[in-house]
Amino acid sequence: MRLEKCWFCSSTIYPGHGIQFVRNDAKIFRFCRSKCHKNFKMKRNPRKVKWTKAYRRLHGKDMTQDATFEFERKRNRPERYDRNVVEQTLKAIPLITKIRHDHLKKHIADRHKPGKLKEMQKDSKELEQDQHTHILPKKFNSNEPSAEKTKVKVKVVQQQTQDNYMEE
Amino acid sequence: MAALLRSRCSSVGRTLMGSAGNNLFGAVNSSVESATRPSHCDAISQQIRTFIQMRTNLKVVDNSGAKRVMCIQSLRGKKGARLGDMIIGSVKEAQPRGKVKKGDVVYGVVVRAAMKKGRSDGSEVQFDDNAIVLVNNKGELIGTRVFGPVPHELRRKKHLKILALAEHIV
Repeated sequence: MRLEKCWFCSSTIYPGHGIQFVRNDAKIFRFCRSKCHKNFKMKRNPRKVKWTKAYRRLHGKDMTQDATFEFERKRNRPERYDRNVVEQTLKAIPLITKIRHDHLKKHIADRHKPGKLKEMQKDSKELEQDQHTHILPKKFNSNEPSAEKTKVKVKVVQQQTQDNYMEE
Repeated sequence: MAALLRSRCSSVGRTLMGSAGNNLFGAVNSSVESATRPSHCDAISQQIRTFIQMRTNLKVVDNSGAKRVMCIQSLRGKKGARLGDMIIGSVKEAQPRGKVKKGDVVYGVVVRAAMKKGRSDGSEVQFDDNAIVLVNNKGELIGTRVFGPVPHELRRKKHLKILALAEHIV
């Protein structure tokens, strides 16, 4: 059993799925679903179609360099069966997946960093410039009225709860 | 050679990390792809993707001397022949001094079909064109060479000689 990659979107093709097109020079194009096959027939370039892995890799959307990708590799020579190796591999798979997911999370967070920083700077600048036009929440203006209000609120809440108990 | 390099590049690009070197490979890959692609796409648009039935023209991909054969009878099924089936055809174009000549009625095995065919694992396979290899009525090859890719399904149809002579088995 071999898991192939789709020529167009680079997703994994499990056995029994998809279609393969054989060109006359014996190059095989495998497609995971009719969507990818149709896009190929329309002569679209996967590097220019936004939802493909090729586009996302090319434009720095996805993580491209990671040690965990080394494990997922095409091997043309079959591995000799060894019980211990299989056992260890099975143990390692969830660990590697976890590590990869953590790296991915970090990658996404790093990608969001500059945007978030910029937004914060923009907001603070706006606040500085036209502070007088904004209506600030009361707790920024004075402490006393807000404190009184909270006291009242607590009382009401307590009464309500007591009532509820009575009813039950 | 180019095809080999390309396939290797693409596999690397799919599975491994796309370092700077990989991007470089990728660029080469895409340029080669764009250069070679139009030819086969034109072939698809010209090729009708249906059963091989009476009056279907097929390319002959062996060295028997025939160049084009027209199907006059499918030896299997009501609708027509598919990948790996036997047909009877008449030679429409032939090279001079070949083993067969124009007007001969010949048997042949469909080794490539533009219509998609289900495989044993549930996936499907489709080729660029409709192609045939000429055999006699006992299933023995007339030519001595087979060009282009052929599907491994021929093994089930007991055409082992074709598989042995083929350049690529898909």
